Amino acid sequence: MKDNNNKRRLANGLSRRNFLKTSGGLVAGAALVGGLGSAPAFAKQRVIKFGYVTPQTGPLAPFAEADNFILNGVREKLKNGIQIGSRTYPVEIIVKDSQSNPNRAAEVANELILSDEVDLMLVSSTPETTNPVSDQCEINEVPCISTVAPWQPWFFTRGGKPETGFEWTYHFFWGLEDVVENYTNMWDSLNTNKVVAGLFPNDGDGNAWGHKELGFPPVLAKKGFTLVDPGRFQSLTDDFSAQISAYKNADAEIVTGVVIPPDMTTFWSQAKQQGFNPKVASIGKGILFPSSVESLGQAAHNLSTEVWWSPNHPFNSSLTGQSAREIATGYTQSTGKQWTPPLGFTHALFELAVDIMQRVDSLGEAEAIRDALLATELDTVVGPISWKNGPVKNVAKTPLVGGQWRQGGDFMYDLVITNNQTAPMIPVASDMQPLS
Amino acid sequence: MNTQMKTEQFSVVRNTTTSRGAAVVTAMILIALISVPFWAGRADLRMIIEFAYYLSLAQMWNLLAGYAGLVSIGQQAFVGLGGYMLFVLAIYFNVPPIMAVFLSGLIVALFAIPTALTVFRLRGAYFAIGTWVVAEVYRLGFAQVTTLGGGSGQSLPASIVREIGSGRSEREMIIYFTALFIAVASIGLVYWLLRSKHGLSLTAIRDSEAASDSLGVDIFKTKLAVYVISAGITGVVGALIFLQKLRISPDAAFNLQDWTAAVIFIVVIGGIGTIEGPIIGTLIYFILRGVLADYGSVYMIVLGVVAVVMMLKAPQGVWGFLSKKYDLHLFPVHRRLKAKDELE
Repeated sequence: MKDNNNKRRLANGLSRRNFLKTSGGLVAGAALVGGLGSAPAFAKQRVIKFGYVTPQTGPLAPFAEADNFILNGVREKLKNGIQIGSRTYPVEIIVKDSQSNPNRAAEVANELILSDEVDLMLVSSTPETTNPVSDQCEINEVPCISTVAPWQPWFFTRGGKPETGFEWTYHFFWGLEDVVENYTNMWDSLNTNKVVAGLFPNDGDGNAWGHKELGFPPVLAKKGFTLVDPGRFQSLTDDFSAQISAYKNADAEIVTGVVIPPDMTTFWSQAKQQGFNPKVASIGKGILFPSSVESLGQAAHNLSTEVWWSPNHPFNSSLTGQSAREIATGYTQSTGKQWTPPLGFTHALFELAVDIMQRVDSLGEAEAIRDALLATELDTVVGPISWKNGPVKNVAKTPLVGGQWRQGGDFMYDLVITNNQTAPMIPVASDMQPLS
Repeated sequence: MNTQMKTEQFSVVRNTTTSRGAAVVTAMILIALISVPFWAGRADLRMIIEFAYYLSLAQMWNLLAGYAGLVSIGQQAFVGLGGYMLFVLAIYFNVPPIMAVFLSGLIVALFAIPTALTVFRLRGAYFAIGTWVVAEVYRLGFAQVTTLGGGSGQSLPASIVREIGSGRSEREMIIYFTALFIAVASIGLVYWLLRSKHGLSLTAIRDSEAASDSLGVDIFKTKLAVYVISAGITGVVGALIFLQKLRISPDAAFNLQDWTAAVIFIVVIGGIGTIEGPIIGTLIYFILRGVLADYGSVYMIVLGVVAVVMMLKAPQGVWGFLSKKYDLHLFPVHRRLKAKDELE
C-alpha cells in the first residue's frame, strides 16, 4: 500500500491542489514585485514632488538627525500647496534613506527619478551621499540641489570641468579655501611657531583637503606655515603613533585635518597619552556634532573648527520668517537636543526648493525648473544664495566663520564663534584661546 | 539473475513532468521579459536590471557555496574589480562600455587565478575569512590608486554613458538586454555545469573531499575552474552594476554588505544548493526591501530576524522546503531511479 502511494506521488510529482497553492503564491509574489516599481494607474491631480535623499541610518546618521523636525515644519508651511501660474498644486516631499551607503544613494535617487518622477531632487550630507545622487540626476536630466559637502569634492571628483560645469546639478556650501582662510586666521590670532600637523585620511574629504594644488598645502605655504603631512591613512585606524611621532619630531604646535568622529577620539586620546600637546587643534567633520565632542570628555575644551551655521548667524528663513536663533531654539524645545549646523542647511535646502517652484511658469518642464534655479537670488537662514557668481558654474557659496568648543554654557560644550574675518556680518562671541 | 531482472525494471531519469512544464513556463517568462522594454516604464526596467544582477550574483555564490562547498565571503572583491575594470577600460582605453563590461569579466577571471592559489590553501571557516581578507586587500589597494580617484572615488563621465546608445531609451534598452542576457546565461551555465560530469564531481567534493579524491576526482582542478568561472561572471555583473551606478569608490565597489551579505541572505533564504533557490530568494529580498526600506533601521532588523528564523526553522531555505515537501524540481540536475512501468 505504502509503495503505491509513493508511486502515485512520483508519477504526478505534485497533486493538482498543491500545484495551485504553490503557483498561486508565486503569481501573487510576482504581482507584488511588479507593483512595487510602478505608480498607481488611476488618474490623480498633478502634485509638485520634491525628492530628498539623506543618510537617516548608518554612520552618517547624525547629519540627518534634524530631518524630521525640519520636514514637519516645511510640510506644515506647505499644506496649502504652491501656486504656479493660476493654479495651486499640493506638494509632496518624498524622503529616501541612503543608509550612509553610496550604492544605496544611487539606487534611491533612481527610484525617485524613475518611479516617483520628482520635479526637483534635494540631497544633503557628505560627498558619499551628494555625489552619487547628483550623478544620477545629471544623466537623467533632473534638476538637483545638493549641500553639506565642501564644493571641491562635490565638483572635481565628479569629473567637473570649471569651463563647462554641469547642466542639471547645483550645489551650495562653502569651499576648502574658506576653511583654510578661517583656520589660518584663527591660528594667526595666537602665538605659535607656525608648524602645522596635517591629519588627512584617504577619503573624499581627506584627499581634497590634502590635495597638493587644490587643498591646504599651497595656501599654507603662501601664508608662511610649514605643513607636516605624514601621508593619507585609512579611516578607522586604531593606531596613530606614526603620525603623532612625526608631529612631535617636527615640533608642531598646530593640528589640522578632516577626520571622522571615531578617528578623532582615537587620535586625540593617543596624542594626550604620548605627550603631544599642540597649542591649537582645528579639525573638520570629527568635532562637528556635540555628541562627538562630548565623547572626548574634558579634553575637548577649546578645540576649534569651522562654523557653517549657528543660532547667532544674523539670517532669517525666507520660508517661515524665523531667525536662526528661533529655528535652533524650536529644535531644542521639540527634541530636547542641542542644535547642529546641518539644521540650518537642511532648512535652507527646502527654502530654495519652494522659492524656485514659486518662480516656475508652468509645471512639467525640467528646463523651466532649472532656469528658475539659475535665476535664484534668495536670502536664506544660512545666508544669501545665488549661482550667478560662484567660484565655478553650479556652485553657490555660503559664509563660513571659525569657532571653539567651550565648556560652561547651556550644554556640556557650546560652539562659540571666535573669528569672523571672512564674514564680518556674523558676530564674534569671544576671543580665540589656546588649548590648555 | 535476480539482480538482472531488477535493473531492467528501473531506469535513470532526470526530467519530471513538472520540470517539463517548468521549461515551458520558463520559456514563456523569458519571452515576456524580452518584450518588457517595449511596453514597460523606465522604473520597471531599472528594477528588472537590478533583479537580474542580484540573481546572477546569487547564482554564482550558490555555485561556489552550494555545489562546490567553497563558502566565500569575499565575492565583493570580484564585483569591485569588475567595476573598476569597466572604469579603466572605458575611460583610459576608450573601449565601448558594453564591450568593456564583458572584457572586465575576462580580466577579473585572470585576477581570480592567483587569488585562488592563495585562498585555496585555507579550508572551511579559514577559507571564508581568507576570501574576505583578499577583498579588503583589493579595497585598500584601489584606495591608493590616485588616477582612479583613490579613496574619494570617481564618476563615469556622462559622455561615455551616452556612447551606449543614441537616445536615452535606446541606451536603457541595451543595458536591459545585457542584464537579461547575463542573468539567463548565469542560470544556464550553472544548469549546464551541474548536468555535466563536472556537476557530479562538484557535489562529490562538497559532500566529502577525501571520498571524492579516492574515487579519482581531480579536486584542485575542479575547484579552481568553478572559482575562476564564478569570479569572471561576478566581475561581469560588477561592471554592469557600476555602469548603472555611474560612480565608483573603494567603499562602494568592495562593499561587503551589498555584494556579499545580501547575496548570502538571498541564497540562504531561497534555498542553498538549488538553482531555483536564488530565484526565489531574490524575489523575497526585493519584496522585503520594497516594503520595508523606507523604515530605516527597522528594515535591517527585519532582514536579520528573517535570516535567523529561516536558519533555525528551515535551514534548507524556501525552495528546499517546497521541493522536499512536494518533490518539485524545476531545473532537475539530480539523477533519480524510476520503475519502468511508471514511464509508460
